[in-house]
Amino acid sequence: MFLEIKNIRKSFGVGDSKVEVLKGIDLGIEQGEFCVLLGPSGSGKSTLLNIIGGIDSADSGEIMIGDDRMSNMNEKQLTQYRRKHLGYIFQMYNLIPNLTVRENIEVGAYLSSDPLDIDEIIQVLGLEQHQDKLPNQLSGGQQQRTSIGRAIIKNPDILLCDEPTGALDYNTSKDILKLIETVNQTYGNTIIMVTHNTAIKDMADLVVRLRDGVIRDITKNETKVKAEDLEW
Amino acid sequence: MVKRSPLHKRIIREIVGDLGKYLTIFILLVAMIGLASGYFVSIGSMITGYKEGFAKYNIENGNFTTRYEIRRSQKKAIEENGDRIYPIFYKDIPINNSITIRIVENRTEVNLISLMEGRLPTRNGEISIDRTFANNNQFKIGDILHSKTRDYEIVGFAAFSDYSALFSSNKDSMFDAILFGVGVISEEDFNNEEGEQVYRYAWKYANEPIDENEERELADEFVKRVRENVVLDDYNPRYLNQAIKFAGDDLGADSAAVHLFLYIMLVIMAFVFALTTADTITRDAGVIGTLRASGYTKRELILHYLTAPFLVTMVACLIGNIIGYTWLKNVMSNLYYNSYSLPYYPTLWNTEAFLETTISPIAIMIVISFIVLHRQLSITPLQFLRHDLSRKKQKRALRIPHGLRFLTRYRLRVILQNIPNYIILFIGLLLANILLMFGLGMPVTINHYQETIVDDLLATKQYILTIPASIDTESHALNNLIAMMEFQNAVETKTEGVEKFSAYSVETYNAVRQEDVLVYGVKSDSAYLKRKFEYGEVYISNACANKFKVDVGGTIQLKEHYDDKIYEFKVSGIYPYNSAVAVFMDQRYMNEVFDLGQDYFSGYFSNQEITDIDEKYIGSVIDEESLTKVSRQLNVSFGGFMSAMRIATFIIFFVLMYLLTKIIIEKNSQSISMVKIMGYSNNEIQKLYIRATTIVVIVEMLLCLPIATTLNRWMFDSYLSQRMTGYLPFYMPNWIYGRMMLMGLGAYAIVSIFEIYKIYHIPKTDALKNRE
Repeated sequence: MFLEIKNIRKSFGVGDSKVEVLKGIDLGIEQGEFCVLLGPSGSGKSTLLNIIGGIDSADSGEIMIGDDRMSNMNEKQLTQYRRKHLGYIFQMYNLIPNLTVRENIEVGAYLSSDPLDIDEIIQVLGLEQHQDKLPNQLSGGQQQRTSIGRAIIKNPDILLCDEPTGALDYNTSKDILKLIETVNQTYGNTIIMVTHNTAIKDMADLVVRLRDGVIRDITKNETKVKAEDLEW
Repeated sequence: MVKRSPLHKRIIREIVGDLGKYLTIFILLVAMIGLASGYFVSIGSMITGYKEGFAKYNIENGNFTTRYEIRRSQKKAIEENGDRIYPIFYKDIPINNSITIRIVENRTEVNLISLMEGRLPTRNGEISIDRTFANNNQFKIGDILHSKTRDYEIVGFAAFSDYSALFSSNKDSMFDAILFGVGVISEEDFNNEEGEQVYRYAWKYANEPIDENEERELADEFVKRVRENVVLDDYNPRYLNQAIKFAGDDLGADSAAVHLFLYIMLVIMAFVFALTTADTITRDAGVIGTLRASGYTKRELILHYLTAPFLVTMVACLIGNIIGYTWLKNVMSNLYYNSYSLPYYPTLWNTEAFLETTISPIAIMIVISFIVLHRQLSITPLQFLRHDLSRKKQKRALRIPHGLRFLTRYRLRVILQNIPNYIILFIGLLLANILLMFGLGMPVTINHYQETIVDDLLATKQYILTIPASIDTESHALNNLIAMMEFQNAVETKTEGVEKFSAYSVETYNAVRQEDVLVYGVKSDSAYLKRKFEYGEVYISNACANKFKVDVGGTIQLKEHYDDKIYEFKVSGIYPYNSAVAVFMDQRYMNEVFDLGQDYFSGYFSNQEITDIDEKYIGSVIDEESLTKVSRQLNVSFGGFMSAMRIATFIIFFVLMYLLTKIIIEKNSQSISMVKIMGYSNNEIQKLYIRATTIVVIVEMLLCLPIATTLNRWMFDSYLSQRMTGYLPFYMPNWIYGRMMLMGLGAYAIVSIFEIYKIYHIPKTDALKNRE
């Protein structure tokens, strides 16, 4: 198993206001798999994604990625872990406002000793015409493409996507999903995507449903639907 | 009933929540306003006190000195049109070996003495001395002063109204409140004290002149009348008397600079405030969008965001003024009291100063904040909701060549993003550097002058002889001849190695400042001067060339002191002599030009002390001690001020760098959080954000150096040419630049530690916040 999650627990607040958002999560994901975490608001899916991403910590439990055990890592090692293994895509893009499209993608490339070819990535993303523009000159879809470029340029082992289509319209969302699908197929990255759009589950290898901090259901899709054919 | 906006409730929370920023601005404002208020109040009160002093202490309209006491008939002739003369005789006596005290009797009619501590002498053996002089020499009441004749117990400290600046001679470049003082003793002690009695008389006009023009006319008429009756050794109308006028001129002289400094600093601080408010608006964009969408008007929001700067400035103005009126007023006036002998003054309410230190700062702060807020809040609610705060939609990104290193390009982007911050920082750094250069450079310039003067001396001692006043009285030709022969015999010396020269005192004509110029006529084979002067050649000293901006080939115009006769010389060369404004020429040529007679001489160059000439024939001795009078006094006058200036500039460096760098980090906190998530280490992030500012700070500091040097040189030259007699070459060794860089970068290093700490503590979750 490439990514192994064992009995992860996490709560917020103290005393009477303490809320347990993850109540013992166990999950395994194979390398190159496309995993979708589905669930309503408050189900704990984003918290789980952040713990996998090393930007939040679990109260207990263990996460193994390859041979690395996250619970033993200090802040420096966690930084190295994110640098080496992870790419992040957010709903709100989080581009650096004073850098151009190309420079935003280079922010990701800088972290890798062997990044992918930036011109090729820009071409795959369809951003050739926009590479010298600042984020505020782009549409939402173009911004999200840039953030995908920034995440994949270092060819990470795992691509974490937190509601990547949450702020986009239907057509743009489908474009973005197609792009993520292409990335998964072309570069073989493991993808973990948080969404509450149930239609997206059909393009995944593995579908994990969460509710109230526990996994309700894990299903493996025998046949995947192409992103292009998804409807919602 | 007017409804209060509920938004007001967050203002105090906003101030408390960002206490570091508000407190820093507040402290700097309080310090600036306190200093300015203290300065204006003390100067205003001192100037009023000084001006009122003319009537209160019945200060003379002028004074003149004669060789002998004036006879009753002469007095009557001089006073025929109602003007009055009063004897103010004095003796200069050496005290405790190295100090000279000018002793006088108590005055009851003119130039009255203001007692400041203790009492005036009531019996023999008692003395009351000038307070400033006492202070500089750490004399206390009860201390004993030893003259050649007897001991005096100090019984009081006083301000002598005709010596508010302690000039022992009006020809001196600078007053000397260290080695020269004034003291009042009993009549009997005065008569018994050894030392030459100087017959000085103060005069008062029958009617006070209404302006300086009338004062000049009256003085000319008065002196003409005096010269018709007695032989004058010297005279000084009040408007030319440095001992009376210098302090008054100096009191208001720094006002323009303080105003300028206050306003520049206020504008800088207002921009800093505006930039921080702009940053708050960027952070609050979502909230503002929602409030605007809900019906809040732009005006209401502008008022809301103006409140914090207004409150902070207003409280800073009030506290600054309280500190200014109570404490800093004394600190400021002490700067002057260390130099000048002024009577104590009552603190006067200064409406203009109050308005300038309350209304002006608040107005500047509000206007600048309003302009920035008005611009920022001009976009639509939807743009706020979308966090799209750029006013120009299609702003093109400045192209940076792809070939540059990624880190270099990233830093360039950070620099480009923060250009307004860096411009404000530059203006602030420039101002601070000008002050710092002055604070560091002034003592160095003074000390350098003091050191070079030794190398510069024409001779270890120059003895300038005093020709008896009777000699130049044309109406007594026979007496004149006899006196001249007596004089020539009396001033011969057997001291080895001496060399006779001619010296003639004239004054500048058509120059920026009327000033005494000593013309030297030296022997063609002089052993003391570094070059020979051909007959007809005229050289001017470095000091003269630099001060009056005359070069080789130019002309210099000189005028007789009490005559309208003008001399014009073409400058043949510059003689390396910084110690005095002087002209050099061949002795024969000089005696001819000034019609002094073929054998005329009036001084000796000597490397040894001359002991065989009667002291009464020696007018002055120019040596290291006399030439360093200026530097000595300037060191005392400016010493504390310079240290204060160095501390103040370090604070300005620190505060501006801290606030502006803080804004840059806060503005980019979301991006910093994002790159943290991506796996950038804190060190790498610091390289991106802190180093960008580091580069700018270094470049700006370097840019400031030549600009500050040029401005300081200009200010120094202006001061020198317009306000100071003599010359002091501007000197700025390279180590000063090093020290300035060190102080600037030292302040920045401390700021960087704060900012690195801040970067370390930006949570990664910042990037996860859904900004919609």
